[in-house]
Amino acid sequence: MKYTVDIVTENKPGVLYRIAGLLTKRKINIERINAYAVKGNGISNIYFTADIDDKIVYTVVKQINKIIEVIEIKYHKVNY
Amino acid sequence: MVYGNKNWLIKNIYSERSRTMKITGAEILMRSLLQEKVEVIFGYPGGANMPIYDALYFYGKKFHHILVRHEQGAAHAAEGYARVTGKPGVCLVTSGPGATNLVTGIADAMMDSVPMVCITGQVAAEFLGSDAFQEADVVGITTPITKWNCQLTHADEIPEAVAKAFYITNHGRPGPVVIDITKNAQFEKVEFKYPKNFYVKKLKTVNKYNSGDIKKAAEIINHAKKPLMLVGHGVLISKAEKEVLQVIEKTGMAVASTLHGLSSVPFDHPLYVGMLGMHGNYSPNKLTNSADVIFAVGMRFDDRVTGKLSKYVPIAKVIHIDVDESEHHKNVRAHLPLLGNVKDVLISLLPHLKKNNHKNWLGEFKKLDKKELMWEKKRQEKNKNKITMDIVLSLLSKKTKNEAVIVADVGQNQMFSARYYKYKKPDSYITSGGLGTMGFAVPAAIGAKIGAPKRLVFAVVGDGGIQMTIQELGTIMQERLPIKILLLNNEFLGMVRQWQQLFFEKRYSFTHMENPDFIKLASSYGIKGEKIEIRKKLDSALDKFINFKGPYLLEVKVEKEDNIFPMVATGTSIDEVRLE
Repeated sequence: MKYTVDIVTENKPGVLYRIAGLLTKRKINIERINAYAVKGNGISNIYFTADIDDKIVYTVVKQINKIIEVIEIKYHKVNY
Repeated sequence: MVYGNKNWLIKNIYSERSRTMKITGAEILMRSLLQEKVEVIFGYPGGANMPIYDALYFYGKKFHHILVRHEQGAAHAAEGYARVTGKPGVCLVTSGPGATNLVTGIADAMMDSVPMVCITGQVAAEFLGSDAFQEADVVGITTPITKWNCQLTHADEIPEAVAKAFYITNHGRPGPVVIDITKNAQFEKVEFKYPKNFYVKKLKTVNKYNSGDIKKAAEIINHAKKPLMLVGHGVLISKAEKEVLQVIEKTGMAVASTLHGLSSVPFDHPLYVGMLGMHGNYSPNKLTNSADVIFAVGMRFDDRVTGKLSKYVPIAKVIHIDVDESEHHKNVRAHLPLLGNVKDVLISLLPHLKKNNHKNWLGEFKKLDKKELMWEKKRQEKNKNKITMDIVLSLLSKKTKNEAVIVADVGQNQMFSARYYKYKKPDSYITSGGLGTMGFAVPAAIGAKIGAPKRLVFAVVGDGGIQMTIQELGTIMQERLPIKILLLNNEFLGMVRQWQQLFFEKRYSFTHMENPDFIKLASSYGIKGEKIEIRKKLDSALDKFINFKGPYLLEVKVEKEDNIFPMVATGTSIDEVRLE
């Protein structure tokens, strides 16, 4: 099932690498990704869409949430 | 700087005047480590951390630096130290190969939730990315196996990074962190300011369970007919041994332990039913699936514990305490996840639990224990005049009053020491459980002995594992550490051979080993030793081994083709556990 994951994170080098690593570990391929820094407050937003098995999406999201710099994470199913 | 006069410098380093002076990044690192109350550093110098080692030359009296013989040894020693003390182990190595040699140990610490701070030197910032001599992308390499890591290119970044690293490594679920410091940052001079009361906003709250969850958990436990508590490493990490005893004694529930949970509940407690998992005891494996409530406490349902997942705990309600949210529902769906520190959750839960006992349920365990005992007796009868690993470990346990620290390697020796040494005191069984790193025991025993100098520390290794980090005998020699090494030599990679026998029709593909004379080898490191080949001599040899003052290697030639049972074969359900 396709999911969109919406992440608010501290704008530090290596965060995207950690997220990508957690996905690579499970052979999840990113279909679309968007990242941008919010000016002035050191925060960055990262959105990505990927095909993730329903059984593991919770764990994957919680594992991303363990990244020290990640502040907030949400995910929802994409219907298209 | 007057390098020749060490005392002058040490005096001045701590003088009031020097506090506002600009000092090098290397010295800032030393002072930051002192702020974190670091006492022990396991390290190895090299090109890219020479300024740090130069600062260490002057701070030598403040730290106990242990010069290992290979960086992997530093990592495992730091793990051993952390496991017995609960304090983060600190490694200090150089760039490139120094850092890549640490990788196995870092991955090991990540898998087993061990707090560890690794400081790696790095080439100067201007050379980064240019494939400079001894350059490796350490942050890149260690990202998947660390809780957090960073690269520092300026001296003024060091204090905050160190404060953050020590906070992160031991907060919530512990794990390793890496700080990569470029050489120019080590030389650069700035003023030293250490951040006070440092914390990472996000990590502040660990306990996220609420009183409603606690009441629900208590209700489930109070109504259970066949409750089984599974204790894991989290009990030892949060030092909740006392609370676990209070909960089981009040509710009368049976308790079984994972490999890393061993020693959290004394082996002779009437409610303790043994070890879980692939080579665990018979009754807990056989009966886990019959339980109506599984109370998982600081454990992560590893595949070695669950066996075939689709057949695991089909009827039980699962209550799962873990400090790491991503562990909930990862392998086993929890009916009631409780997010928090094991000790805190148990303290909150205790007043809601009702006094109870489950005699019939415990009787089921006892019945199966008898079956295991009979099998055990038959096995002993068969091996009466032979030396097998179980006999050696049982005797060692008896002779050390079940109170020593056992640092086991990986393989048959690890499983035999998990099962046949009887653990009574917390933090007594240390091994590489998650990653299963052969070569772990000797260096980890070094760290354990330094962390717990008053306890008897034994490294239990096979002939394969000892040769993976045998260079650390040099460290034992130089540090004059009274570590006892029990080498169980079967001239095989025993566990792989066992699998070849059971699942590959005895095709022993490259598992036989021709070995050096270990006693002579140890002797060249100034370590006394003895080799035992007959059963009659075992008793007295063990006495001598235990009572010897100083490091000692006891090599025991054990049965070549002995197997460890019970066993849950891969892909089968845990209730299909076999005794042969």
